[in-house]
Amino acid sequence: MRRPRGVGEVVFFALVYIVVILFALVCLFPFYLILINSFVDNKILNQDGYQLYIKKLSFDSYKFLFQGTQAYTSYRVTLIVTALGSVLATVITSTYAFVLSHRKAKYRHIMSFFTYVPMVMGTGLVGFYLLVAQWLHLKDTIWALIFPYLLNPFLVFVLVNFFRALPYELYESAAIDGANDIYVFFRIVLPISIPGIATVILFYALTYWNDWWLAILFINHDYLHPLQMMIRSLMSQINATQYVMGRSMYIQSVPSEGLKLATVCITIGPIVFLYPLIQRYFVKGLTLGAVKG
Amino acid sequence: MEGKINQGAGKNEFGEALIRFFKEVKSNKYLYILAIPGILFLVVFAYVPLVGHALAFEDFKLSTGLFHSKFVGFENFKFFFGGRDWLVVTKNTLVLNGLFLGIGLSFALLLAVFINEMKNVPLKKVSQSFIFLPYFISWQVIAIMIYALLNSSTGFISQMFITLGLKPISWYSRPDMWPGILTFANIFKYAGYNSIIFLATIAGISEELYESARIDGASRFQQVRHVTLPLLRPIFIIMLLMGIGRIFYGDFGMIYGIVADNGVLFPTTDVIDTYSYRALRQVGNLSMSSAVVLYQSVMGLITIIVFNWIVRRIEPDVRLF
Repeated sequence: MRRPRGVGEVVFFALVYIVVILFALVCLFPFYLILINSFVDNKILNQDGYQLYIKKLSFDSYKFLFQGTQAYTSYRVTLIVTALGSVLATVITSTYAFVLSHRKAKYRHIMSFFTYVPMVMGTGLVGFYLLVAQWLHLKDTIWALIFPYLLNPFLVFVLVNFFRALPYELYESAAIDGANDIYVFFRIVLPISIPGIATVILFYALTYWNDWWLAILFINHDYLHPLQMMIRSLMSQINATQYVMGRSMYIQSVPSEGLKLATVCITIGPIVFLYPLIQRYFVKGLTLGAVKG
Repeated sequence: MEGKINQGAGKNEFGEALIRFFKEVKSNKYLYILAIPGILFLVVFAYVPLVGHALAFEDFKLSTGLFHSKFVGFENFKFFFGGRDWLVVTKNTLVLNGLFLGIGLSFALLLAVFINEMKNVPLKKVSQSFIFLPYFISWQVIAIMIYALLNSSTGFISQMFITLGLKPISWYSRPDMWPGILTFANIFKYAGYNSIIFLATIAGISEELYESARIDGASRFQQVRHVTLPLLRPIFIIMLLMGIGRIFYGDFGMIYGIVADNGVLFPTTDVIDTYSYRALRQVGNLSMSSAVVLYQSVMGLITIIVFNWIVRRIEPDVRLF
C-alpha cells in the first residue's frame, strides 16, 4: 500500500542516504590515501604531499622495507604473539566462563562480581608495571606482550551468555554417563560452541595484533618490536635506515615518508584482507555481549 | 543455597563457613579446577597490582622496593595538587571524555537509526562495512592517517587549503583545534562499533508497533520519531551513564598514539593517563605516578559507583552479572 510521499518524507530519506554514504566514504578515505601514497615516488611525496592519485609510481618504499630485517622481525613477533596469545587467552577465558555459567558452581556469583570489578576500574599503572617488569621479571621478553591480556572480562561475559543458552539436560545426561565436568567441557560443550569460541578468538587476535601499549611499556630491544611498535619507531626515529635495515648502511636516498606508509600497509593488510570474512563474528559478539536483559 | 559468602560473624561461624567452602569445592572440584587458570590470572594481573597504590605514600626507590621505601604520607599528593598540572589534566580528561561520549554516542545513535532506514540492502551492507572498518585498526595507524591529512608540509588537507588559495592551518601547533580533531578521530574509530549495539536494540523492536503507527497515518519519519527513538532511549541512557562512570579514565592508546610527546598540544590533550605514564616511564618518578593513579582510581571509583547506582535506579532490568 503506497501512500503518496510528502516532501518531508523525501527529504528525510535523502538525508538518511546522504549522511550514511558520506560517512562511509569518509571512513574509507584514509585507507585509500595511505594505500595509494605508499606507491608514490618518495621525492614527489615530499614535494607535493599526499595526493589522490599516483603521480609517479614507485615500489621503492616496499623494496627498502623488505631489504631490511626489521620488517620480518616485527612481523614474526606480531604473528607469534597473536597466535599464541589468542589461543591461550581463549582457553583460559572459555574454561573460566564455563564455570561462571554453570548452575552447579555455587561460588559463581562471587566470581562474577570479582571479574566484573576490574572491567570497570583500572588496576593502576604503577602496580601493573612493577608486577610485570620487576616482580615477574618479564621485561624485554615476549611473555610481557602476551600475559596481560589473557583474560578479558567483557569476553568472559560474552561466553557466559553463550554457555547459559545451552540446555542443562546436556550436563545432566553426561553426568549420568559418568563424565566429570572437565570431560563435559572439552568433549561436549566446546565442540558445539564453535561460533562463540571463534568470536572470542578473533577478538583476542585483534587485541594482540593491534597492541603497542605493552610494547611501549616493557620492550626496549628492536628484535622484540611488534609491528605497531615498528610504526611508532618510524614516526619518531631519525635513523630509519639503521632501524629498518637492522644494521648501519649508507643508502643513497631513504624513502622515509613512504616507508611509514608501506609499514602501515603490511600491518593492516591482513586485517583488511580478512575483514569480509570475520566481520560478522565481531557483530555477533558485540550484540551478544551488549544487549542484556 | 546460591553462592552466598558467609560473613563469618562469630568464631564458630568462620569455622563452619570454611567447612562449607571445602565441601563445595570438593563436590564440584572438576569445575573449579577448570576455573583455576582464570582465577590465577585475575588474582595476579587484576588484583595484585592494586598494592602499587601504596607507592603513592612512599618515596619509592627501586633499590629499597615496595616495603622498605620511606613512608612520606601525603607529600606526593601535596606536590601534585600544589601545581597547576592536576587541574589541567583533570579538565582535559573530563572534557575529552565528555565530548567523545556526548557527540560520539549521539552520532552513533543517529547512524544506527539512519542505517536501519535504508531500504537498499547492498548499499546498506557496504556502508556498514566501511563504517565498522576503522574499529579494526590501531590508534598508531590512525595517528599516521591523521598525520597524512594534517601535517603542514605534505598533509592532504593542508594541500587542499593551498589549492583553494587559503592559508593552511598549522594543526600540530594549535592546541585549540585538538579537542575537535580527537573527537572526530574517536567517532571515526568507534561510531561503527557503537552503532552495532543500537542496531541490535532496534532489531528487537516489534514490527507491530510500526504497523499500528502506519495505520494511524504516520509517515516513516514520524514512525522513527515516535517508535524507534523512544525505544532507544533506555539503552542510550545506560550507555551514557556507564560512559560517565568511566569519565576519569582517559583513552591512553588514542591520545598517546596521536599526540605522543608533542608538548605544544598538552594544554588541551594531556589526560591523567598520559600524564601518569610520563611520570612513570620518562621521568622515572614512580611515587608521583602512583599518586596520580590513586587520585584517578578514587575519583573513578566514586563516579562509577554513583552512576552505576543511577543506572540501576532508572533501568532496573539491566543485569550485569
